[in-house]
Parts: sequence; structure tokens; C-alpha cells
Amino acid sequence: MPSGALLFQSVILGLLLGGLYALLAAGLTLYFGIMRVVMIAHSAFLILAAYLAWWSHARLGVDPLLSMIVTVPLFFGVGVVLQRLLLARLRPVTLTMMSVLLTFAIAVVIEGLLGYAFTGTQRRIQLGYGTASFGLFGARIAVVKLIAFALAGVALLTLYLLMKKTTFGWALRATIQHPDAARLVGIDTDRVAGFGFGLGLATAAVGGTALALDTTIYPSLHWHWIGPLMAIIVVGGLGSVPGAAIAAMLLGLMQSLLQIPMGTTWAQTIFYLALFATLAFRPQGFFGGRLAQRF
Amino acid sequence: MPSASESPTATATSTGAGAPASAVPSPVPPAARGPARLGRLLQAVAILVLAAAVLSFPALAPNPYILSAGIVVLNYAVLSTSWNFVGGFTGYISLGHGALAGLGGYATGLFVVKAGLPSFVALAAAALLVAALAVPIGFAALRVRGASFVIVSIALVLILLLVFQSWASFTGGSRGLVVPRPFPGLLRPEHHRVFFYLFAALLAVALLAWWLIDRSRFGLGLKAIREDEDKAESLGTATFAAKLVVFVVSAGFTGLAGGLYALWFGDLDPVFQFSILTGAYMVLMALLGGVRNLFGPLVGALVVGIALEYFKVEFGNSPLHLVATGVLLALVVMFMPDGILPAIGTLFNRFLRPTQSSIREVTAAQLRDRDGGGPPAQSTEDTPMGERTGTTA
Repeated sequence: MPSGALLFQSVILGLLLGGLYALLAAGLTLYFGIMRVVMIAHSAFLILAAYLAWWSHARLGVDPLLSMIVTVPLFFGVGVVLQRLLLARLRPVTLTMMSVLLTFAIAVVIEGLLGYAFTGTQRRIQLGYGTASFGLFGARIAVVKLIAFALAGVALLTLYLLMKKTTFGWALRATIQHPDAARLVGIDTDRVAGFGFGLGLATAAVGGTALALDTTIYPSLHWHWIGPLMAIIVVGGLGSVPGAAIAAMLLGLMQSLLQIPMGTTWAQTIFYLALFATLAFRPQGFFGGRLAQRF
Repeated sequence: MPSASESPTATATSTGAGAPASAVPSPVPPAARGPARLGRLLQAVAILVLAAAVLSFPALAPNPYILSAGIVVLNYAVLSTSWNFVGGFTGYISLGHGALAGLGGYATGLFVVKAGLPSFVALAAAALLVAALAVPIGFAALRVRGASFVIVSIALVLILLLVFQSWASFTGGSRGLVVPRPFPGLLRPEHHRVFFYLFAALLAVALLAWWLIDRSRFGLGLKAIREDEDKAESLGTATFAAKLVVFVVSAGFTGLAGGLYALWFGDLDPVFQFSILTGAYMVLMALLGGVRNLFGPLVGALVVGIALEYFKVEFGNSPLHLVATGVLLALVVMFMPDGILPAIGTLFNRFLRPTQSSIREVTAAQLRDRDGGGPPAQSTEDTPMGERTGTTA
């Protein structure tokens, strides 16, 4: 039986991890909601952002957090271009399937270019505050993990406010719920879909920077993220942002707790178990909304 | 290349009914009968040439390296043909078939190493095992459509990679698993030659199975799923059972290919055996050649497989081969989602067979999609109903 302090520490770490997962999965649900696109390349963009953060720190001496000033708008623009030039041109009937292949291709290209530019060597950001931590009721919490969680929280809150309080968010939600009706009331759904896609990639920029603070990165790392993220959005019900957030927190917590008896590698299997259990018993996802029913 | 469902008999009877052709203005011109025969003749000649080329390749290969590259390409051809049982008939895109091939390889290797089975008995047992495992996998995966299915197929690769890497005491983990050669007495070039013919035989069997399903009632049900799954179900097709059966068949062939590769190559590493890239190659090859054609995946494997081997020589171990693969896949998806063979077939039909017989190989939704500018050959009968009924007028 693990000690109470260890258990408490795992819970804290699990929640912090879950926050990061929630941020990353939010981007995925956004793409899926907007145009039924399963974006395999999301985690590749994540690693790209992590590399840019590392590069800005190691080569330019800039704090990785400041790299977001460049990466967030850059990724937003890339997302808009990606949607307008590539994804929007696929045939509507085969969109879901073909978008998987297309974004898979993008992911592979990014991985290859990262390997070419930065070699396959594992990289890690050496920060002044990288090893700092503080105690909380007997648990030790690394400052970088807390920063990552705070970043995720801020980004998710911004996303929420953007979706609920702005005209653009209103148009985006209308486009997600019923594209034809949205067009009828005068929303330029193509434009909105492009911006929505950009928004999703912008979350990848934030998430990648948060990731870079605390992990060792290498070009093929994105494959390790795809599985958990896909599992989260399926368990959460495809296309449902709140569902994905709940699933992310829950699975992050379970992974963290399972690490005590099973070790890091085997604890990963919880995501796949959850994925298969969801499909076997509740294919529409456990926390999904109306949209998820159709898939 | 005309597929079996284009019903060549319809063309033949309609020309027969229209004779004397000069008196009755028939939509099927009198000359159409000749080109239809010509088409079949060309097809037969193409198959013979292909078979001859494959069989004589070991004799023509200048060195063992080229021969081994030929084996790799044949292996890809078997894999993508196996993939096409699911992808081509039902339209479900699996990115995880690489996992089934890896499973076949590891199962074969482990049966030989741990259980002491003879190599080819182990291969058969492994294929059966993979087919058996495909039942529960398919049961979970095929309950969902579209996006979720693809996600599950990706997850399958990732979870198997995790298991085979972590369970090192049984699988050898990252140190690899050495599979003893089935013919220890053979020298390397001879070994390659034997395996080249084994792969060719497996390819022939897989193609034959695909052709048989394509012509069967069962195949018709599968294609109905591809066209419109809800409608197929409402018309009484046992869609789930059909999908599961064809998935298991596909998994069995994929497992055989993986196992044969393990016996040939002799050294397995989880990172390569359970790579998402393998599954992506299968999809790329099948799509490039054309998933609705018997020989589509084979043609795709010839193009992509040779390109991959070339990249390997040219770029070595640099990650640029990833970029090349990605760009190729993106180009196919964007500009040639139907593949090479249908493109050639359309060209052929436009010049030699001005009117088409009934059953089309596109979905009703695709038809609506292109309703604005229909293909020139069918401009008079552009609506779905008109085309379905007005073939022989």
C-alpha cells in the first residue's frame, strides 16, 4: 500500500497532467466539431512548438514562454492556411477518411523536417527554475509543472471566453452545430471554419511550449501523444469540448495513480483500455453531447 | 481496368439486340463490341505480362540486393492487397494494419523460438492466431464508423508497440528477436530466390481471394456498405457480420505476409514491426493504385515500394524519406483519391467505349457532388435515375 503522501502527490501530479491533456484535446475536438476532421498532425505541431521553444531558449537565449509571442500567431496562421488550402478542398463525402490521411501526411512531413533540422538527438530545456519545487502538505510539486498547468488553464479559459462571449465564438458555435443554418443567417462558414482551425492550432502552440518546459523532446515523440489524445477525445465523445476536458482530467489522474503500482510505461495502457472499453460499451463516448451520436 | 461488376454481358446483349446495327440507332455503337473484347484481351495480356515479369525477376536481377528489394516490394504488394479487403470493399480506412503484420511476424518468430514449431507450421499457426485476434479487435473497432475506426486502428499499433517493447522477457524487447531461417543450408542468394517465389505465391492467393469476393454476393454486400451503410442495413444486409468476416480475412492475409517476412528477414524489432508507417504505406499504395481494382494495390506497391527503396539508397537513414512519403501521400489524397488504374480506365473508356453499362463504381453522394459538371462521356444521362435505368435504351 503506498503511503498517503505518495498518493497525494500522484493525485496532484495527475491533475496537473490532466490540465495539459485537456488543453491539447480541446484543439482536437475543435477540428472535429468544425469539419469532422481527425487531425493526426495536432501532436506533431505540438512537438514543433516545443522545438521552437527549445530553440529560442538554447540559441537565442529567450525564455521559452516568450516564444509563444511568435508561435501562437504563427500557428494560428498556419491553421487557417491549412484549412483553406488543403482540407476544404477534399471531397465532402470522403472528408473524414481522407482528412485523416492528409493530416497523417502532414505529421510525417513535420517529423521528417524536424529530424532534418534538429537531428534525432533528444533535447531538453535547461531553465534556471527548471529544478525548483515547493512542498504542499508533504507533496513536492515542480514549479515547471505548475507553470504548464497555469498555461493550460489560461489558454482554456481564453478559449471558453472566446467561444461564449465574442461574435466570432458565436459564429463558430453556430457553424459547429448546423453549418447550413449558420450560412442561412449570413455567417461566412468557410471563413469561420478557417479561423476555428487556426484557433485549434494555436492551442497546440501553447501546449507545446508547456510541454517543452518539462519533458525531453525528440522528433518522433508525437506518436506517443497521439494515442492518449485520441483516446481522450473518443472517451469524451468526439466533438465535445467539455467531454474531452472531463475525460482528460480523469485519464490523467488514473494514469498518474497507476504509475505507482505499474510503472510509467504500463500506466500508459489505461488510455487504450479506456478507448476500447468506450467503443465496446458506449461508442458515442461517455461524456459526449448530441454531435457525438452520429459517429 | 474494368471491374467485374461492370457486367460485360449487358454490353454484349445490348449490341446483339441492336443488330443490324446500321438500321437501329442504338446507344451502343456497333464498334463497341470489338473494343469490349479488346479490353478483356488487353487485360489478359497485361496479367500474363505481369506474371511473367514477376516469375522471371529472380533470373534477371543483377545482384542479391536487387533481388531482396524485389522481395520487399512483393511483401508490400501482399500487404496492400490484404489491406484492400477492408479498405477497398467496405471503404473503412485502417491505418493500423501494420500492427497485424507485426503481430504475424512476432507470432511466427515466437512459435519457432519458444514453442519449437517447424517454420511453416509456425507461420500457419501465426496467421490463424492473427485472424482469431482480429475477431475481438474487429468487434470493438467495427462498431464505430469513419473517424473512430481510424483512431482505433492507430491505437492498435501504439498499444502493441508498447506491449512488445515493455514485455522484454518474452519478446526480446528492443534487443530484437532472432528468428531462425527455415532453410539453414541455403546460401543467401538462393534463400532470397526461394522467398521471392513464396511471396509471389502468397500474392497470387491473395489476389485470387480478392477477385472471388469481388464477384460474389458477399462482395456485393460489402460494396453496399461502402456506398451507403445505413441503406445497406435497411435492405437486409448483415453489415456487421460482413464487415467482421472481411476484416478477419484481411487480418489473416496480413498476418501471413508479416510472418513470411519474419522468416525471410530473420530479425524483428518492435519499433519497425509495430510502426504506423507500415500501415500508412499500405494505405498509400492501395489508394495510389486504386482501391476498387484487383490490381490497384499491386500497381501502387510497385510505384511506392520502388520509390521507398530508392529513397533508402539515396537518403540513407536521414529523415528525408519521411518527408518524401508524406508529400507523396498528400499528393495522392489531394489529386488522385481514386488511384492510377481508374484514371487509366476512364481514359480507355472515353476513347473505346463511349457508353457505359449500368452499375457504377462511385457512390450516390459522389454523383450528386459532381452533378454540376458530369463526365463528357455520359453527358446526356447525368442524373442518377437516368443512368440507372437508361443504359440500353
